[in-house]
Amino acid sequence: MKVRYSYLSQQFGQIDELLEQIRAFVKTGDFTLGAELTKFEGRFAKLIGAEHAIGVGSGTDALKLPLKALGVGHGDEVITAANTFIATAGAINEVGARPVFVDCGPDFCMDVSQVERAITKATRAIMPVHFTGYMTDMPRLQAIAVRHNLPIVEDACQAILADMGGRRAGTYGVAGGFSLHPLKNLNVWGDGGVIVTSDAALADKLRLLRNHGLKNRDEIACFGYNSRLDTLQAVVGNWLIDSAETITQGRIERAAYYDKHLGSIPQLTLPPRYTDRRTVYHLYMVHAQDREGLQQHCLARDIECKVHYPIPLYRQEGLRHLGYRQGDFPVADAQAANVLSFPCDQHLSREEQDYVIESVREFYGAAR
Amino acid sequence: MAGSAALVLPTEARAPRQVPYVALGQQFAAEATALLSRLQRTLASGQWVAGPDVAELETRLAARLGARECIAVGSGTDALILSLRALGIGPGDEVITAPNSFIATASAIVHVGATPVFADVLPDQNIDPAGVEAAMTPRTRAILPVHLSGRTAHMPELLELARRHDLRVIEDAAQAIDARLNGQAAGTFGDLGCFSCHPLKNLNAAGDAGFILADDAELAARLRRLRSNGLVDRETALEWGVVSRLDSLQAAVLLERLPALDSVTETRRRNAHAYRELLAGISQIFLPPCRAEEHNVFHTFVIQVERRDELQEFLRERGIGTAIHYKIPIHLQPAARSLGYAPGAFPVAERQAQRILSLPVHQFLTQADLAYVAANIREFFA
Repeated sequence: MKVRYSYLSQQFGQIDELLEQIRAFVKTGDFTLGAELTKFEGRFAKLIGAEHAIGVGSGTDALKLPLKALGVGHGDEVITAANTFIATAGAINEVGARPVFVDCGPDFCMDVSQVERAITKATRAIMPVHFTGYMTDMPRLQAIAVRHNLPIVEDACQAILADMGGRRAGTYGVAGGFSLHPLKNLNVWGDGGVIVTSDAALADKLRLLRNHGLKNRDEIACFGYNSRLDTLQAVVGNWLIDSAETITQGRIERAAYYDKHLGSIPQLTLPPRYTDRRTVYHLYMVHAQDREGLQQHCLARDIECKVHYPIPLYRQEGLRHLGYRQGDFPVADAQAANVLSFPCDQHLSREEQDYVIESVREFYGAAR
Repeated sequence: MAGSAALVLPTEARAPRQVPYVALGQQFAAEATALLSRLQRTLASGQWVAGPDVAELETRLAARLGARECIAVGSGTDALILSLRALGIGPGDEVITAPNSFIATASAIVHVGATPVFADVLPDQNIDPAGVEAAMTPRTRAILPVHLSGRTAHMPELLELARRHDLRVIEDAAQAIDARLNGQAAGTFGDLGCFSCHPLKNLNAAGDAGFILADDAELAARLRRLRSNGLVDRETALEWGVVSRLDSLQAAVLLERLPALDSVTETRRRNAHAYRELLAGISQIFLPPCRAEEHNVFHTFVIQVERRDELQEFLRERGIGTAIHYKIPIHLQPAARSLGYAPGAFPVAERQAQRILSLPVHQFLTQADLAYVAANIREFFA
């Protein structure tokens, strides 16, 4: 049995209605900052529980633009998690600031207890990453941020509809960045991102920054970027957004099924399962003994399992100038060596899950 | 004028009609069926980022325009930003460019940490090589000429300057796909050529899109990693990068459209030629001459007139859409205040900003539309 990681060709099996909408849309010629985008932004803001949503070109830009809008720049430091995808640190670097890493906890999120130690006079913002769909401990992080008068910009790219204490990922910080990349829980047909905020002045600034700083057709208030969510992609987003909750539920159910059957295998360790927050399983990631062996075994059985990510950010060649040394982030290092992600999307069938579970059992049975 | 008698039909030409400046809806309606079936194929592949459509588009654009490499990116703005970065231009460096372009030309320079230094333009709206030479300082690292309106800049002179002063040349060819100078395509003269496929461009996607032409394989490889987070494979970030990839979906739209580019360009050139004849002899209008060696693609057709705002309003009342590219020169924008330029710094560009008006020139105009526009302009100046 083939268990594919990407389900995209399945996701749009029944798209006649959507194609009709696109046919109607293209005839309007309303391709840039069009009406469908405004509608999508309104619906996205409501879904997350924020006042404003601003559609941008990618999840990376959804992190970069808020930093820029907050005036973070050269000589500044931004604290983030050591185990995230390159784009988080890339967004910080893009505005000229320096990423300062904090090690992560067993839930793959920033270990909030280590944040205060990383704060210096140059710290200008904190960017927690709700990695894999887990929520960072935001109430605790927020208390620290308030104490040090630092804004939080949340990297919620993998965490749409995750929540904690009745508040959703993206709404604790002054702004939250989301990705609509094809492989995200709520996706479009290409690169895309959304920023949410409840600060009206910040929202205005972000709208300027994504559109060349243009106040109107002729006047430029500030140097800005070209980072607009295509209106065409907003049509896709509008078509899918009502399913966001169903998609999330589908992932949570599949994760629970894996948990039930994989949890008893002694060579696997599941990350903590919280009752005080909702995890949305953008990735279903476990800690595995002999990870390489298990991955090879699964790949040989046509199960597309992946490693997010085998090289921690701080040890990447492109980041060498930050001056971190091997061993600076022991938890991130340990996880890079033992994590494995299995397909966990809403289109995955029970048979496919059983096949994955059986294959994992078989591997460790043989190893015993 | 020989042709004008045949083209001007005074009675018919004065019958009121709508002549919009752009006709995107019309374009997409005409192509909807073919486009949608192509999109459906791309969608079914599930490869929506960096898929085979993007690779095919890159190959075809490179071949058509005469470059070794083509790197598709998210927008024309990003094409400029990434090109500057790939050439190592950054803080402390100066880049000489034109003050009469779209803001993105200058903001790209600002975003890499360098300083835009402007040089005035010639009557044809393109940067004046003599002004470029005068603007050079020991910090100058590159020249960024703009092929404004689809007319090639004065490349031989600029290339000679660059050679003499050891400067890089990045072409802003956002408005100039397939524009040629002595047969050579805009975007292939300098180190890198930057293009936009924004919906309003001659070759247009259904959203933001852009690409870069390069001949140097190493530069191309660097651009490919810069557009995708600095990643050289799934795991390794060789350097800092951004996310600026052309969506497969937009690549599919562009592939579907590419075969029609010749006819789009030809129609725009024909429309421009018709305007030249129809507007000939009106002493209040200045039309930049087309030199024999130029093959202009008329992304815009720009006339220069006194009482420009009045004329624009007069035409608007008669259902004719026009535009101004661009009303406020970059050096006088609030965003550019820190660069320290004052009014009067670039007299030619500033005077043109008061006088330029872009007439509709798109491929859906009819002869009657053109005659109607011309008749109304003639009436205004009568």
